[in-house]
Amino acid sequence: MELRKVKFEVLRFRPESDPEPVFETYEIDCMEDWVVLDALNAIKDDVDPTLSHRWSCRMGVCGSCGMLVNGRPVLTCAAFVRNYEGTIRVEPLSNFPIVRDLVVELDGFIDKIKSVKPWIIRKIEKDLSEGEYRQSPEQLEEFKQFSMCINCALCYAACPVLANEPEFVGPAAIALAHRYNLDSRDEGNAERFGVLDSHDGVYACSFANECSQVCPKHVDPAMAIQQAKMTDFLEWVHILPKKSFT
Amino acid sequence: MSAQAPTAEKTRTAAPRPPAGFPFRFYRYRNYVVFAATSVFMALGCVGLLEALYALGRGEEAWKEFLANMAKPHNLVLSLVVLGFTLYFVLRFAWVGRKIAAGRIGPIPRPPLPMPLLGVAPIGGFLTLWLILLAILAGVLP
Repeated sequence: MELRKVKFEVLRFRPESDPEPVFETYEIDCMEDWVVLDALNAIKDDVDPTLSHRWSCRMGVCGSCGMLVNGRPVLTCAAFVRNYEGTIRVEPLSNFPIVRDLVVELDGFIDKIKSVKPWIIRKIEKDLSEGEYRQSPEQLEEFKQFSMCINCALCYAACPVLANEPEFVGPAAIALAHRYNLDSRDEGNAERFGVLDSHDGVYACSFANECSQVCPKHVDPAMAIQQAKMTDFLEWVHILPKKSFT
Repeated sequence: MSAQAPTAEKTRTAAPRPPAGFPFRFYRYRNYVVFAATSVFMALGCVGLLEALYALGRGEEAWKEFLANMAKPHNLVLSLVVLGFTLYFVLRFAWVGRKIAAGRIGPIPRPPLPMPLLGVAPIGGFLTLWLILLAILAGVLP
C-alpha cells in the first residue's frame, strides 16, 4: 500500500516540566486508509512513547478520541488523514483543562451530565414481576435522536458560550435532559427543571449552533436546547405540568 | 497507600484553551459575538424610545426639540446602526424559531402543521403585527 509522508504538529503538555503547552512536530509515513488516530498511535508506538492521548473503540462509538484537528473538534478515529492537506495540527479539546498532551480533564463535564439526572425517574417503581415499561415506536421517535449522544464532548469544545461562561451546563447535558423529559416513561421533569432553568441553564445559550455542526452523531444539541427553552418556559408559566414528588 | 486511594492533590493542569477562531476569526463565532452585541444597541434603542415618550409628555415644544435633535447626522447614523442590529436580532431569532418547533413540547401532541411553517409562524406573526403597527404610526393605515 502506498505511503505518504505527513507532518503533524501535536500540542504537548507535560505538567511536571512544561510551564505551558507547546507544539512538537512529527513527520511519519501514513497509509492511504489511515485516520488521524492511527497516525497518533504510530507516533506513540514508533517515534515518541511519551505522547498521551485517549482512544478506545476506533469506530466512532465510544467518544474517547475527540480532539481538535486543524482547529475543528472531531473524533480522530473518523478523521481521514487523506482529507487534510499540508501539516495536520492536533490539539486537545478546547474549553477543557489539559491534563497531559492531548488528554483533557472531563470531571466538570461528567458533573454537568450527572446534574441533569440522565436516567428514567418514576414516582413509584414497578415491581420487576410487573414487566417492562412499554413504549410505542412513535413515542420512541420523539426522543431517539437525542439519545444518540456518545458523550464525546466535541460540542463543549465548539461552544463559544462555554468559552465565556465555563459554568454553562452545556449542549450534551441539556440534550440529555431534554431526551429524558420527552421520554414517555419518565416522570422527572421537575427534578431537572432547577438545573435547566438556572442562570447557567438553557437561557445561557444564544444559539451559535456550533455544537450541532460538530456533533458526530447528528444529535443536534442546539435544537434540543431551543426546545428545552420553550418547554422550560411553558413549565415556568404552568402551562405544562411539572411532575414533582420529592 | 492503596493504588485505589485518591491522591491528596490533583495533577497540575494547563488552562482551557478557547475554541480555534474564537471570537472573531471563525464566522459562526463572529455571528455569536455580533448577536451578543445586539443587546447593547437594542438597549440604546430603548433609551431613545423612553426619551421620545418623555419629550412627548412635556408638550409640543419638547417634542419638536427632540425631533430636531434626532435629525442631527450623528443621531441618524446611530439610529441606522440600532436598526441594523435590531434586524439582525430578529432574523437570528426567526432562525431559532425554526428549531424550537421541530418536536413535541412536553405532553402537547405534535400539531398537524408542517414543522418549518410552525417554526416560522410565531416570528412571522410578530413581524406582521410590528409592520401593521408601524404603518398605523406612519399614517399609512387609519
